[in-house]
Amino acid sequence: MITVNNITKSYGSGSAANQVLKGINATINDGDFVVILGASGSGKSTFLNVISGLEKADSGSVKYGDRDITKLSDKQLTKFRKDNIGFIFQQYYLLPNMTVEKNVKMGADLAGRKDYREIIEAVGLGSKMKSYPSELSGGEQQRVSVARALAKDPKVLFLDEPTGALDEKTGRQVLDYISRLHEELGFTVIMITHNQNIADMAKTVIKMNSGVVTEVYENPVQKTAYEIGW
Amino acid sequence: MVTIKDTLKLFGISIVICCAAFVCTLFINYRIDLVDIKDTVVGEQAQKMYDAQLSTSTVVCSVCGGCLILTSIIMLLTYIKNFINTRSKELGIMKALGYSDMSIARHFRIFGLSVLAGAVAGVGAAAVYMPKFYEVQNKDSYYEMTRNSHFGAWALLIVIPTVLFAVLSVVFAYRRLKKPVMKLLRESADSKVRKSKDNDSSLPFLKDLKKETVRSRRSLIFFIWFSAFCFSCNTQMSFSMKTLASETMGYMILIIGMILAYMMLILALSSVVKGNSKTVAMMRVFGYDDGETAKAVLSGYRWIAALGFLMGTGYQFGLLKVMVNVVFKDIDKLPDYSFDVKALCIALPLFVISYELIMMFFSNKIRKLPVKSVMLEN
Repeated sequence: MITVNNITKSYGSGSAANQVLKGINATINDGDFVVILGASGSGKSTFLNVISGLEKADSGSVKYGDRDITKLSDKQLTKFRKDNIGFIFQQYYLLPNMTVEKNVKMGADLAGRKDYREIIEAVGLGSKMKSYPSELSGGEQQRVSVARALAKDPKVLFLDEPTGALDEKTGRQVLDYISRLHEELGFTVIMITHNQNIADMAKTVIKMNSGVVTEVYENPVQKTAYEIGW
Repeated sequence: MVTIKDTLKLFGISIVICCAAFVCTLFINYRIDLVDIKDTVVGEQAQKMYDAQLSTSTVVCSVCGGCLILTSIIMLLTYIKNFINTRSKELGIMKALGYSDMSIARHFRIFGLSVLAGAVAGVGAAAVYMPKFYEVQNKDSYYEMTRNSHFGAWALLIVIPTVLFAVLSVVFAYRRLKKPVMKLLRESADSKVRKSKDNDSSLPFLKDLKKETVRSRRSLIFFIWFSAFCFSCNTQMSFSMKTLASETMGYMILIIGMILAYMMLILALSSVVKGNSKTVAMMRVFGYDDGETAKAVLSGYRWIAALGFLMGTGYQFGLLKVMVNVVFKDIDKLPDYSFDVKALCIALPLFVISYELIMMFFSNKIRKLPVKSVMLEN
């Protein structure tokens, strides 16, 4: 379980200080599918960076079970991410001079997995193992990014607007892969989006506005990627 | 578009040009004076010495000046290529708005300023050092050389490289810009990927990354090789020059070699770190520790540096052997030359230690790369 307690975060200092997170509290259960929903500037990306250990909060705590990651050193945080966290970003951030296979291996080697080709097959890119990111469409690149994140066996998968750069068809495909793999493998999914429709796929929705959580609710029924509006 | 600040980033070229201008000013001035006293040289030994000194001046000017200028040209073209690549969208928009290739390329002439600064500094330093240089050259000579300041030649040593580099910058930029607007607008780092012929997927990721980092930017291979070459060649040669020529000559070679070697190594490694910042950021996000990340990015260049050092050792030995056995073969006073093991024993550990220290500095830089801001750069 992830317990977020009174997290604050500001950028800048003095009169130019901009408080982005203003005392966030949240609880996320293991295996949950959570969507953090908010408009641009609501603080959702900063929140994701803080709970994933990419950025340090100014105050408050983020506990994974009993372990407070805000107390960890940079080195310990790196080890923590290695053992627990997977990331998928809007911009993919694939290594451009490496093939699909080698990009996914980046994640697999961290977990000591040798079966990374199966993960590539699972995201439907078996025929593109030797292709380079520049030879793939946006949707395919995002699927490589999904495979790379899953290859390291994450306990929690963070997704930062994963369909933000994709068209509807490929966006739905990517969300479908994520949703099916989540069901199959049981990891926790924490996805940020500004798209209300995508929130319908989540079990738990955390709504944010101006650095505070304004609403937390559970969807009575989780829709599939092909059932949601766009 | 191209600003003075961009030109300042070319300080590496300024330093190389400064060294080239320094050496060429000394030896061209000396050569002109030598030619002027041609008829006054009498005696067989004096004539042999005269011929040898004339050849030395020509060889030093052409080899040293030529190598340094060539290095500067490679550095300049690499810089302009990277400059255009990183700003391809901005340049594409300018072309889309109606700016012609030449009107954009013309801005690149400002890069000539870095050469101007280096040339002025080099010629100035040579002017200050020249009395001492003549004193050393006249020591044990068969004839007395009078020092004259050939201002015309000095001016040309400033003007010619400045104009040459300004024109070269414009022409090269023009050629790089001569492509369709949409290609420039769409151009991203991804489309310039050097694809590997070796797709061996059995290697661990970190080993793969090490290989790919080296392979993906070939110009850096040259700079790192050349830096080690310069270090090895100049430090070892400087020891021998103390015996064969003079202590001052030895120090001059040593200082120029060290400046060139360290500056080039630092520039190349800065470029490696900058070019791989996104990869490094992503590896840290995924949980690769700082040490293994830095090692994967930097350690691939070690064998290139070793090769450069080895070739530099061979080159300086060969060059001095030719100078002693061919150019100065008839001069009585010249001592025998054989491979200087002592010089190698000093230069090698010095090189290894300084190379590893510089690598450590850049490893630290990699550790300190801010993940978030690197990922926000687009």
